[in-house]
Amino acid sequence: MGGTIAPDRILHEMADLWVSLGKQSEGDAGVLRACSMTLVVAAEESDDVTAIGETLAALMPEHPSRAIVIRFRAEDRRTLTARVFAQCWMPFGHRQQICCEQIEITAADASVPDLAAVVLPLTVPDLPVVLWCRSPRLFHLPAFPQMAAIAQKVVLDSGAFGEPAGILKEMIEALAVGRSIADLSWTRLTRWRELIARIFENRAQLANLPGVSEVRISSCSKSPPVEALYMAAWLMDGLEKIGAHPRLRFNSAAGVASGELNRVDLVARDLASIASIGLVEGHAAEVRVGGWVNRAVLPRPTDYALMREELSIPGRDAVFERTLAAAARLAAGETRP
Amino acid sequence: MLPVLRRPVQERELRAILNYMSLENPFQDPLRFERQVPECALAIFGANGDLTKRKLLPALYRLAYERRLSAGFAVLGLSRTAMSDEQFREKMRASVKEFLEDSPFDDDIWTAFAQGLFYMAGDVHEAALYPALDARLKEIEGQRHTGGNVLFYLSTQPSQYIPIAQGLGAANAGKGKGWRRIVVEKPFGHDLTSAQELSAELHKVFSESEVYRIDHYLGKETVQNILAFRFGNGIFEPLWSRNYVNHVQITAAESIGVEGRGAYYQEAGSLRDMIQNHLLQILATVAMEPSATFRPDSVRDERSKLLRSIRIMKPEEVLVDTVSGQYGPASIGGEDVPGFRQELGVNSDAQTDTYAAVTFFVDNWRWAGVPFYLRSGKRLPKRVTEIAIQFNAAPLAIFNGNESNVAPNLLILRIQPEEGISLKFLSKRPGTGMKLRPVSMDFNYGSSFGERSPTAYETLLLDAIIGDATLYTRQDMVEANWAVVDAIQHVWDNTKFDFPNYAAGTWGPKAADDMLARRGHVWRQP
Repeated sequence: MGGTIAPDRILHEMADLWVSLGKQSEGDAGVLRACSMTLVVAAEESDDVTAIGETLAALMPEHPSRAIVIRFRAEDRRTLTARVFAQCWMPFGHRQQICCEQIEITAADASVPDLAAVVLPLTVPDLPVVLWCRSPRLFHLPAFPQMAAIAQKVVLDSGAFGEPAGILKEMIEALAVGRSIADLSWTRLTRWRELIARIFENRAQLANLPGVSEVRISSCSKSPPVEALYMAAWLMDGLEKIGAHPRLRFNSAAGVASGELNRVDLVARDLASIASIGLVEGHAAEVRVGGWVNRAVLPRPTDYALMREELSIPGRDAVFERTLAAAARLAAGETRP
Repeated sequence: MLPVLRRPVQERELRAILNYMSLENPFQDPLRFERQVPECALAIFGANGDLTKRKLLPALYRLAYERRLSAGFAVLGLSRTAMSDEQFREKMRASVKEFLEDSPFDDDIWTAFAQGLFYMAGDVHEAALYPALDARLKEIEGQRHTGGNVLFYLSTQPSQYIPIAQGLGAANAGKGKGWRRIVVEKPFGHDLTSAQELSAELHKVFSESEVYRIDHYLGKETVQNILAFRFGNGIFEPLWSRNYVNHVQITAAESIGVEGRGAYYQEAGSLRDMIQNHLLQILATVAMEPSATFRPDSVRDERSKLLRSIRIMKPEEVLVDTVSGQYGPASIGGEDVPGFRQELGVNSDAQTDTYAAVTFFVDNWRWAGVPFYLRSGKRLPKRVTEIAIQFNAAPLAIFNGNESNVAPNLLILRIQPEEGISLKFLSKRPGTGMKLRPVSMDFNYGSSFGERSPTAYETLLLDAIIGDATLYTRQDMVEANWAVVDAIQHVWDNTKFDFPNYAAGTWGPKAADDMLARRGHVWRQP
């Protein structure tokens, strides 16, 4: 195990890997190499490497990529090590094996300034680079912006950063310098938002929307967690578009994981409910609209489901960026987003 | 619902009404959300038939599984067989379990989905059926909150299309509180005149924008991918014309025979059954001009323009540019296979074409002079549908003494099976000397993306519910198709063919090879 790594050697090892995979494959079906992006995963060494591997393996069929997993070790000595292997699968009913490359790099914190120069030549030419940062500590390392500069999109999970105001502000700053940012805490709300949007596809329900006078958002937290802030900002923005200016109320609820959204209510002036969605029995949602109750499955999304959604959006997401700005204002104590 | 005002409208009320009319759902996020599906009831005529059991219900269940249907989505099955709602649900459950492809069957999802399944028995020729149907739909609307939206689906014998349209019209069931649409399965008539009659009857009840003529080939993921391939990439467009394309071959081959549908097929034939609809639509997709937008009528306008540019053959051209075939008995893999005339329900002197090959020309600036060879047949060696675009050879062959250097560049768009795209080109053989050999660069659609592709019926049903007619056939397209095919069929109907003229398990009659050979071309072996 050496203290440095040479990108040329890794690229050479990858070329050898393809030759050996080709030789191993039976008959003339061969191996199909698939790649639509470079996915760089920045994780702590203590992070569950098996879970990361499983998530990447699940992502590969839909988003075949060269995966570069960098595991960071809090260490002052400059050390970098790397290994190369392939993720292969055989689609059901097909003879041909499909493989994607994976590079695993272990880096000491002290080596972070060296990393960008290592990772850059390892990215696949002409294809997008996505950086998934799994740890708040890494996001705040001084050399992290160099790494982020390689990527067209940086994915993080603000829910893991504790107090929301700071990270929301940092994300806005990153957007301001032209970087595309995605937040898995926002991605977690997609299904909630979709359920809400679906209610108002019905024109009769849509007609009630300008009458919303209060928006209530409940979560299991003393102060609103980032998911609640996003939901509030998004709802208020939508209502504003149709001329409604409701009050916003955050409530604290029990019984769900900390930071998780529990219930959303849209209430009319006469206090009658226009629509409400609440978690029941674990991860089912009860949707109440005008006396009609319906249930939908609302599981807490896995890392795979969240990343799958984010990798499907190669460009910027205007709705998220608008919501992020509004959520930051709410987190900063402004009463309206 | 808007109130009915029987007095002069005040300005404030008027503003409220106008606001309501223009109000759009402010919570939509098309980047992340699946396409929003409105509540509706789907009324299937012929609910006890094969298509419903094998295709429609499995597709609907799959959409429910993917959470693509609205919570109040309902199906009302209609057929002559007496059955309760519960019996219908049980029957459909068994069908879905049997015919669901590459998907798991989940009891909980089925239970929730089945709550929206209803049934009523009735004869489509009985006038009393339609007011009862309307009443049942209203009842379902109250129960399931379908908003009065109804999609009628004609999954019956084609002879019942007009009586159903008339019945719906008489009961005023074609109009209602929400939207009303009707899906019609092919064949859309058996010639131009009957197609126009069918459209005229449908239009008495539904406007053209409410009529969805389904061609399931257009719903196939790989047919849609032709549009993505052509109009999402910049590099192919400059090559896509008479300047570089030598000719195009479109093949739809089936290895099976008529499989118990002899009586129907005897009246239809390959030209009407496949070329008139599926293959001409594929030709249009391959050859159409880019549309300005990807809106339903933009795309359909371009398809329609292309179909109207296909040269209509004169009788003497039909004799040289078309080939009709019928399979005879053969032994395939040790099994004796009957000829078409030996199939159940087929006359012993039937003149039906089980194979058709046609050379079409598209008379526009892009394609003038480029032959489009279309062929379709039953009992051919394998099941395959593909498009082969053969490009002109290099203008100068500098690698002399090498047989392979005449192999043409081919772009193959495979529709089924093994959906994908291949580009064949010449490469230097490893070693000394300049010896070339053809190689294939393959993109395999199914395996490059591991995700399951929706079936054609999933795509098309969802489109009809949403109101997206891009992949449906419009009246002018149907009529253009028939105009082209009628000219051929008329000559064939007045010709006595010496059938059978190809053995089951072969690539069709020799005359089809001769047809291409006259222009120096050969059929590709898929």
